Formats: sequence, C-alpha cells, structure tokens
Amino acid sequence: MTTLLDVRALKTHFTLKRRPGSTWFRPKPILKAVDGVSFTIDVGEVLALVGESGCGKSTVGRTLVKLERATGGQAMFGGTDILPLSTKAFRPLRRQIQMIFQDPFASLNPRLTIEQTLAEPLRIHGLATNRTASRKRIGAMLEQVGLAPDAMHRYPHAFSGGQRQRIGIARVMVLAPDLIVADEAVSALDVSVQAQVLNVLKDLQRDSGVAMLFISHDLGVVRHVGDRVAVMYLGRIVEIARTKALFERPAHPYTQLLLASIPRLDPARRGLRPKLMGEPASATAMPSGCAFHPRCPHANQRCIDATPELETRADGHAVACHHADKLTAGHAA
Amino acid sequence: MPLLEVDRLSVAVQSDGLLQPVVREISFTLERGATLGIVGESGCGKSLTSLAIMGLLAGTPVRITGGHIRFDGRDLLALEARERRRLMGAAMAMIFQEPMTSLNPVYRVGDQIIEAIEQHRRCSRRESRERARELLQQVRIPDPAGKLDFYPHQLSGGMRQRVMIAIALASDPALLIADEPTTALDVTVQAQILDLLLELQRDHGMAILLISHDLGVIAETCNRVAVMYRGQIVERASSVALFAMPRHPYTLGLMRSVPNPDVDPDSNLVRDARNEPGRLDAIPGRVPAIDERVDGCAFHPRCSMAEPVCRRDDPAVHDRNGHESRCHFADTLS
Amino acid sequence: MSAATLGSRMGGQLVAPFRLFRGRPVALAGFLWLLFVAALAVLGAVITPFDPLEIDPVNRLLEPASPHWFGTDHFGRDTLSRVVVGARMALIIGLGTVVVALTLGTLIGVLSAWFTSLGHVLMRIVDVLMAFPALLLALVLMTLLERSVLNTIIVIGIVYTTTTARILYGMSLKLKNEVFVDAAICSGASTASLLFRHVLPNLASPLLVQASFIFAFAQLQAAALDFLGLGLPPEIPSWGNMLAESRTYITRASWLLLFPGAAIILTVFSMNLVGDALRDRIDPRFRDDIAGV
Repeated sequence: MTTLLDVRALKTHFTLKRRPGSTWFRPKPILKAVDGVSFTIDVGEVLALVGESGCGKSTVGRTLVKLERATGGQAMFGGTDILPLSTKAFRPLRRQIQMIFQDPFASLNPRLTIEQTLAEPLRIHGLATNRTASRKRIGAMLEQVGLAPDAMHRYPHAFSGGQRQRIGIARVMVLAPDLIVADEAVSALDVSVQAQVLNVLKDLQRDSGVAMLFISHDLGVVRHVGDRVAVMYLGRIVEIARTKALFERPAHPYTQLLLASIPRLDPARRGLRPKLMGEPASATAMPSGCAFHPRCPHANQRCIDATPELETRADGHAVACHHADKLTAGHAA
Repeated sequence: MPLLEVDRLSVAVQSDGLLQPVVREISFTLERGATLGIVGESGCGKSLTSLAIMGLLAGTPVRITGGHIRFDGRDLLALEARERRRLMGAAMAMIFQEPMTSLNPVYRVGDQIIEAIEQHRRCSRRESRERARELLQQVRIPDPAGKLDFYPHQLSGGMRQRVMIAIALASDPALLIADEPTTALDVTVQAQILDLLLELQRDHGMAILLISHDLGVIAETCNRVAVMYRGQIVERASSVALFAMPRHPYTLGLMRSVPNPDVDPDSNLVRDARNEPGRLDAIPGRVPAIDERVDGCAFHPRCSMAEPVCRRDDPAVHDRNGHESRCHFADTLS
Repeated sequence: MSAATLGSRMGGQLVAPFRLFRGRPVALAGFLWLLFVAALAVLGAVITPFDPLEIDPVNRLLEPASPHWFGTDHFGRDTLSRVVVGARMALIIGLGTVVVALTLGTLIGVLSAWFTSLGHVLMRIVDVLMAFPALLLALVLMTLLERSVLNTIIVIGIVYTTTTARILYGMSLKLKNEVFVDAAICSGASTASLLFRHVLPNLASPLLVQASFIFAFAQLQAAALDFLGLGLPPEIPSWGNMLAESRTYITRASWLLLFPGAAIILTVFSMNLVGDALRDRIDPRFRDDIAGV
C-alpha cells in the first residue's frame, strides 16, 4: 500500500481576540484547535476522523485543503509538504485534494446553475476543452450520483438537502481527485436521506479508488464507511486502529466511553450505560498532561504530569494512554 | 384519566393564501409519570404538534384546524387565553433544541430561572434565589451558587440545556415537552442529559413528551413510541414492542437505514434492498413536499411492499395488543 | 460571467412590474409616473408646445391658462415646456449619480471586505466622509469645481458612494464567509473569479434597491445645489434651476414654484415607493441593511 498523505505533528492554533476587560499586557488567548496530529492515508483508503465538537477534526480537514493556515507540522502529499505552499503553488494540487462540505444549503452558490457550479472546477483545471465536453462530463457525473443530467440547468433552490449534497459530491468527483476530505458530509441530512447519500459516497469511493478523510461525529456512520478510524480529543489523536479493531476492542478510555454513550435501539438499556462525567475542557486552557484526565475514571498522577504519546502496537493499533495495556481486555460496556 | 389527550388534532400552514395541512388528525395519550416519544424526520409535523399543545402558534402562519387537546380533562383549545397561559408554565413546561436561542443572552442565568419561579409563586428575592440554586443543583450543574451569575454564552451547550431544564422545573410541572433536547449536543453530553431527564422524572413523577428524529434516543428514554410520517402517526406501541418487532414499513425502513455501530458492515448483516453487501437499506425517494398531493397511503411511493390498495385507500389503524399500525399489511410485516 | 449574463439574471429577477406591485397600488402609480418621466425625457424637445428656451418678454409672468397651461416665467418662457425638458436633466442626474455611486461604492466596499488591511484604512476614510451631512459635503466639493452637469453628477455620486460602500462592505464580509465561497476556493478559483462570479452576483439585489434610493435622493441634492446656485449651469432647464429662479417671484407667480416643485416631489416619492417594493420583494433579510441613505 503506497502512502498518499503523511501528516506529521500538524498544529493549527488560532489567536483569539482578548476578552473585554482583560489586561492588555497578558498574552492573547490561543485556541489550540489542532495540537500535534499525525496520521497517514494510503491510496484508496478511507480514514475516518471522529470526535465530539471542539476536538479539532474539522480544523484538521480545513487545514489540509488550506482553508485554514497551519501553525506547525508537515503534510506530505506526493512527496511535497503542502502546508508552506503559496496559494498559487497549491492551485494545481487542488485538483487532487478536494472537500465535501457539511451544509447542503450553503455550499452551492444560489446564483449559479448546477452546470455553472460544476463547470468551474473543470475549467480552472483545464479538464474540459469546450462547453460540449464539459456538459458531457457533468451530465455523466450527475447520473453517477443518482440525479438526472438535465438537473444541470436548474438552480440550487430547486433541490432538496439530499440532492444538493449529491451535487456537492459530483462537484468534487468530476475532477477525479486522489483525496477527498468529507467534512461531516451527511450530518445535516435526515436519517433516510443520509443512508442514500452514504450509499452513493461509498459506491463512488469503491469504484474510483479515491482516498478519503471522512470527518464525522457519528460513530455508526464512521463504522460503515471507514477502513481505519482515528479518535480525536481536544486537538490530539487518542487512538487510531482498523475499524473493526477499534469498535470491538477500543483501547482508550475515551473511545470506550464514547462507544458506550451512543444510544442503541434497545429499550432494555435504559439507564444502564456507564456515564461519562463532566464536559471537555476548553481548548484555550488545556489540562496538563493527558487532556482527558479530568474525566477519566482511570486517571492517576502520571496522567496529570505527562502527556501520553501515540504508541503503535504490533497489530497497527495506536493508543495515547498510559494505561493502554491494562485496559485493552474488552471494553467497559 | 390520562394526563394529556390529543384527539384528532389537525394543524395547517398558511402559505400563498392556501391552507396546507401538516398534521392530519393525530391522536395519542400520555399518562401521568410516563414517557411518550414522537419520532419522525423533518417535515413530519412532530414539532408543530408540540407547539400546538403548548399554544405557541399565535402570530405564526400555522393554525389548528381541528381536534381537541385535553390536559387533565380540560380542553385547552376551549380555554381563554389568560387561563391557558396560567396553565402553561405551571403544569406544562417545554424545552427546546437550541438552548442558546431559547435563553435570553442579555440576562444572567440565575435571573432567568428566578423569573420562571416568580411567575408561579410569591416569594422574597432571597427565597427565589435559593430555589434557583436548588434547581441548578437538581440538574447537576457543578457549583450551582456561582453559576447563577453566569450569562448563557459563558456556559457550554450541555450546561445551557441543563439551565433550560431547571427553568422548566421551576413550577414543578406535571408535563414536560422536550423538542429535540439533545440534537445539538455531543453524544456524551446527550447521554448525561437523557439520564438526567429520566432521573428527574422518577423524582418528580413528571410525564415527558419527547420529540426526536433519533430512534436511539427515543428507545433509551421512552416507555411508548409514536412514529410520525407526513402528519400522521403511522405506528404506535410500547418501545419494547416497537423495536423488537416493528409493524410499519417506514419504521422498519428507518431502523434499517441507520448504520449500526455494533455491526460490522462487511458481515452478512448489512445488505441493501437488492441484497448487495455493505450498503445501507436506504428508503428510496424523499418526503413529499407540503403541497404535494399523495393519494392513499402517504408512504406508498417509497414503500417496497406497496400494492394497488395502498395507492387507493388511506390505511386504517390496525391494532394488535395495543401495538397500532397504519398499514394495510401490518399483520404480514412480521 | 459576462455583463450581459449578469444583466439578464438581474432582469429575470426583476419580475414583471405588475407582480412586483401586487397589493401596492400607490407604488404602481409611482412606477407609471417614472415611466412617464422617462418618456418625457426622451421625447422632450419634440412634444413641447413652445421652445423651452425662447424668450418672449411680452408674455412674461402670465398665469396658467391656454395656451400656457403652466404659465410663463419672468422671461416669458413657457413653464410647461421647461418642466417637460427638465425631465431629461432629472433622469440624467439620477442615472449618472447611480452609476458613479454604485461603481465607486462597490469597488471600495467589496475590496475593503476582501482585503482586510486595506479595508481598515478605506472604511475609516469612509467614516470620516460620512460624518458630513450629505448636502454640506456636496457644497464643499462643488465650490472646488465649476458648475456643470458632469461635476454635479460626480459630486453627488461621491456623496452617496459612502453609504453604498458601507452597506456593501458589510454584505461582502458576510459573503466572504459563506460555504460556497470556501467551496470555490477549494476548486482553485482565483481571487478575481471569486469576486466576480461568487460575490458580486449575490450583491446584485441590494445594489438594485440601493440604486433606486440614490436616484431619488440625487434629485433632492441636485435641486438643493441649484437652489444655492452651485449645481447645474443656469442656462440648462432643470427642475432645480427653475425652483432657484422662482425665488424672487414666489408671491407674484407661485406657479413658477409649484410645477417644478411638484415634479420633483412626485419623482422622488415614486422612486422611494418603487424602491420599497423592490426591497420587500427581493429579500426581507436585507431590509435592515438599507438604512443608510
């Protein structure tokens, strides 16, 4: 398996405005949205990035397509570190790294027809020499996502959320990219529509062999789509493993409790779940040592003093926890 | 006598001069201290139903066009506005999806709770402040006394929702309507809030009407479930019965289209309608628009089991041991 | 996107006048008045019963009666003909200032929003200019220039550039953060492409509404300037000039004030009504943004 994307110690920090009333000589608060994230994605692989709000998963995605500026680290794509590239230098690479957005109602320009929206990337990257070629390619792509080709003549407001999301997928796939960052691509959709769009996405991914960084907060969706899963908490990855391994034998306490918190279609479970106490700390004032220690039932002094590093075991399963070996025997159900 | 009885309630929306029905003659009851979940996707009318019950439709283009809503035997729609308002907040309270917009951003949290307390009883400022602190403690907010002086934006989403619940509890209501209370929250916070609701219900003997699009949330919280589609209740049963053996194709479809985190997608258990592995059994098509006309069963255009009778006749309610379903083939489904 | 496409899209959105004014009979009447004024502007010189410039001292200060239905002024010139021909100036001033204000305002507003550091500087300059009342600013500028049609247009145009720039600045900032702009960036769109394809077309509606208000208020500013002797050259028949000249004769020949004054009022009022209807129709969301003019 060849490595397509190699992210090393990625950091994206945001300097915030000072709160009104705070003293002028104190340094401005820094939001460490992404604080040292490393992972690889192989050609054709789907890596799911999962976590709750504020964990930094969306920021990772946006940094990789350069919608946000990285503060540190490297992202090697095809041998080049894309992070320091200028806008101009990165432009040709944009054909290969694309993004699907979460909000189907905001991601399409309401003033352009579907054809105009889809033709723009084709034109920018020189993939269609004339209008006829462009139309042909767009029509074929629309059919592949389950829409009629004549949809290209209409405006976004004529379509439902699920259809718009399919158009968003078409816009990305029409360039035949190597890597797609899907940022909560199905989160804003109704349950039945979500299933349809997930099927479309999964089919296209399998048929075209495109690699994907699938960002989501929904573990059920993640299990369905991902080959490997990375769990993030407060800007860091706490666990990465092959999907089956992560769901059947989660090693990190946060992963275990996250899985236990998901409501299941089982009324008998009422009130029997283990509770995760408290809420994530703020990313402007991270706890010392392991970011999860204030909420972890297994925390000890070592967890407060030292930040655990992500350590990979022989089977490829990586965990960032001081107690990893002791906890791996089954998950706290 | 049930605490809440909704009897053939119909609600319609005024749009372009026409009255479009969005809730079509639904009926359900809620007993004291019990939990009823209404589950459905967007556009099915579940939120409008809750707003109709709470009487929050004034000034909107939405109208109640028929039916009765009885609370503790009294017909709410027949009451005068002032009487109804007195009932509201006192015996019935509601919490919403977005606590950031349901809390007033310019007032401290404590003041908002005190406002709710003082609506229903006369007490000194010190007494109401103490009661507010008590309420924050009941909803398990750490450092309740200190938090009274916080503004909503200084609290996290989960804490704001707890504040909302505290406000709702101020009058010790008999009925709490929760409209998508955890949809905007993370899954771990959601679990805490749902457990809190159940605990409060136990301690106060409160009935809860929970509205959600998330089947899992409903399953883990409610005794009874009603599934809504296009303004109608298409299936109603105890949650144990419904999840063990659904009797409506839509319910079945919903359950099958949610990817299950406990199931390996490569195993034989995940297959779509054409038996292809690894694909979700998604319900084809989409919910019809509000002004679209559908003859017969509202679900038939998307139903894999549709027969000519489904296109012709709106199905009646088929009841088997209290498990009701609006499907011509309810009995053959299992 | 070509200007033609942009224009046709705006036209497509501009819905048939009768649908726009449904339920607003007064606004419809206003719209018809404006069409009438436009017709007069075009046909003007051809249909006037008398030559608007012809001096006829024998018939000076005649009361309105046949054949001078609006009376004559102190030079014996037919008021009716002058009012008709004045429509042309009204239209030219109106359209001219709209072009100047919208072009400059869009340029400043959009670029300020897009390039934040530039924006800080430009917006502060705009703030300073906005601190002056419109008429005062126009006066100051006009004293620096000689009286002419072009200069009047430029000066009033600059005055209204400020509010236009402010409004467009706010809207462009919002658009900058829209998801579809992010999506276009991801497609590789250049900055120029982003501005012309994605930002500008979404500003078309508020621009249109803004144009209607500028047109209306420009009439008032031009008339005020003329009245003070600073606007259009006195030999050109315009409603403002007619008002200026009528000052001395108000008590003796009130019709010299009445007819051009009525024309100005009707035109401004009509344009305001049409602008209101447009604004309400196009997007209720923007209602609060168009408060500046």
